[in-house]
Amino acid sequence: MAPDSRNPMPTRTLALTGIHGFPGQKLLLWADQILAQRESKLVEHFDGIVAIDLHPPQTKLTKTRFFKLDLTETNVDQKLAEIFEREKVSALLHLAFQHNPTKHSGFAHELHSIGTMYLLNACGKQKIKKIVVDSTTHCYGAFPNNPNFLSEEHPLRGGVQSSYIRDRIDVENQMKKYQQHHPECILTVLRPCSILGPNIHNFATRYLSRKICLTPLGYDPLIQLVHEEDILRAFQMVLEKDAPGIFNIVGQGVLPLLTLLHLTGRIVIPLPNTVLYPMVHAMWQGNVAVVPPRYLEFLRYLWVADGIKAKEDLGFVPKYSTRETALAFVGSQRLKEVHLAAA
Amino acid sequence: MEKDPKIISMTKDGIPSMRKTKKGLGVEEFSEQNKELKDIIHQMEDKLQGVLNQIRVEHTEERTKFQREMQKIIHSFEKRITQRFQELDSRKESSPQERRARMLKQLGNVFRKIINVPDFEFIRRSEEVDEFGLDPSFEEQCFPIFRFFHDQYWRVETQGVNNIPDTGRALIVANHSGTIPFDGAMIKVAVFLSHPSQREVRFLVEDFVYHFPFLGLAISRFGGVRACQENAERLLLNDNLVTVFPEGVKGLGKLYRNRYRVQRFGRGGVIRLALKTQTPIIPAAVIGAEEIYPLLYRSQYLARPLGIPYVPITPFFPWFGPLGLFPLPSKWSIHFDKPITFDQYGPEAAKDPLLVSRLNEELRTIIQEMIKDRLTKRLSVWFG
Repeated sequence: MAPDSRNPMPTRTLALTGIHGFPGQKLLLWADQILAQRESKLVEHFDGIVAIDLHPPQTKLTKTRFFKLDLTETNVDQKLAEIFEREKVSALLHLAFQHNPTKHSGFAHELHSIGTMYLLNACGKQKIKKIVVDSTTHCYGAFPNNPNFLSEEHPLRGGVQSSYIRDRIDVENQMKKYQQHHPECILTVLRPCSILGPNIHNFATRYLSRKICLTPLGYDPLIQLVHEEDILRAFQMVLEKDAPGIFNIVGQGVLPLLTLLHLTGRIVIPLPNTVLYPMVHAMWQGNVAVVPPRYLEFLRYLWVADGIKAKEDLGFVPKYSTRETALAFVGSQRLKEVHLAAA
Repeated sequence: MEKDPKIISMTKDGIPSMRKTKKGLGVEEFSEQNKELKDIIHQMEDKLQGVLNQIRVEHTEERTKFQREMQKIIHSFEKRITQRFQELDSRKESSPQERRARMLKQLGNVFRKIINVPDFEFIRRSEEVDEFGLDPSFEEQCFPIFRFFHDQYWRVETQGVNNIPDTGRALIVANHSGTIPFDGAMIKVAVFLSHPSQREVRFLVEDFVYHFPFLGLAISRFGGVRACQENAERLLLNDNLVTVFPEGVKGLGKLYRNRYRVQRFGRGGVIRLALKTQTPIIPAAVIGAEEIYPLLYRSQYLARPLGIPYVPITPFFPWFGPLGLFPLPSKWSIHFDKPITFDQYGPEAAKDPLLVSRLNEELRTIIQEMIKDRLTKRLSVWFG
């Protein structure tokens, strides 16, 4: 897609990383359509889009230029800086994260920690004005001494429970340091809780789509969920207006775990901890479990985040409550079973 | 919430229905009073039915609130009807057989209440919970057993309950005792039964409860909330009544020889909370809770593997086995004093450590004085 008289060279572009996974794919599509139609607030800020990922976008896009880059290879920050300069990138939406714990922890560490470091190096060189990053409320960690509603100022303690979360916390710390060095940059971090929806695949959806769910015996923590449409809306809101800071993006209300499982029609098998942990460990080694055993703490203790800052400062109110999210998810699962919905 | 099976009961859909009473009222003898009572009961039934038909409850929170209202109404009606029946009953002459029959029936009631334990099935789920995990139907199921402890076993007397405001937030501060913290539950039950507006009390619990499998779950579904500043602030800003025990585990683990000596009140977190949220503090003294487990010694043997701070040695515990863990039937009394307001200090005063420390010590002294005063008036540990 070469610049010509009808498509002048864009002067302010939005760079997106991680366009192959969940928010990235939809946001790229949305941004492209909005810019092509010249009707939204986004047009005031950007002229074009730059997409950076290993996999090219799967649909035809008019305003986007794609660059195939591996964020884990060495010296990718030089290439990124070059691209940012040439395409006149003014904002970055960093979504290149894995949303599930994985056995390839080495690659995950490279992508999350080192990839972000390279990106921030390039951003610092080009003085990018706005950065939006996707994080997660798992970073708070699930402990019995968590308050009932974790606010954004609460320390991120989840690193002791999983190396995946340790990497995500490292990303957040890098962002904090970057903000200190570049105070004029508008840096937004969004922390969604567990996302459920018809189009997203993460370990929560995999856990809830199985017939039998294992839970720890005697624990029934309050769970909160957010619908994927609300997440997309939150990102769109943050792109259209400037909102520096960290925000928890969560659905309304909480549900106890067993009620949630009953609502979604799963067969619940509670097992005592001494049996459950080794079993999940074995299943994780055999690629049957959805999470490593230390993640079971999230099914035992409380880790509910407070979405009040997003409501007051950002104006974001989720449309779906936790109960409605679960029901919508189950509804879409049923449609998939009878092949009435696209995968 | 106890359902008296004799008079009015709520079916599952929340529709009240009346059962026939078997109190031995011959219709011929007391036909006049009976008719009047029957009329009253029919009127109340119609009113309740009308109220039910009018309200469409769809939102779960409203439904919960509505159920509570219904229970309160029914409880008060029940009380009045039972009183009336008792009046009528006492007018009749009682022969020895009838007196024996009545005593047996009362014994039967007591046994029924003991057996009516809430069902802790493994996969018990709560249909609706509030934001802190309180499940009203679980609370209702647990109520009979706590009611038994309150009415018959510990014969709790509550005084000064009018010091608790009808609406708006307040912080009840009490002394803590008895190795297992039943005093929180007893304060909750006492306020619910004695206060004219039957307010609901939330209480703050220590962290370590949540480590255990069923304990943390049961306590949070009953109304307990994890003790930290953020939770307490949130509860108070929603205008709840919150009970705090600033002594904490120090108070629980007091040896018998140190009974009724109020320990240090933490680091002043309670005062800071009250100042920051501008909440009145209601000092409360619980007498009788020290004697339910007279603690002779705190043993560290086997404490760490079991995950508890210490193993209590009481005159009954390790010798009589698990039966020794059952609390002793001392006579309790709970006294509430006038609320202490901090209006003259603004919310900024919470940052002044000297002021907080001074107010903390003053509060502790007030409660200690209340306890001393009641103890001199108390004649016996077991009978008041």
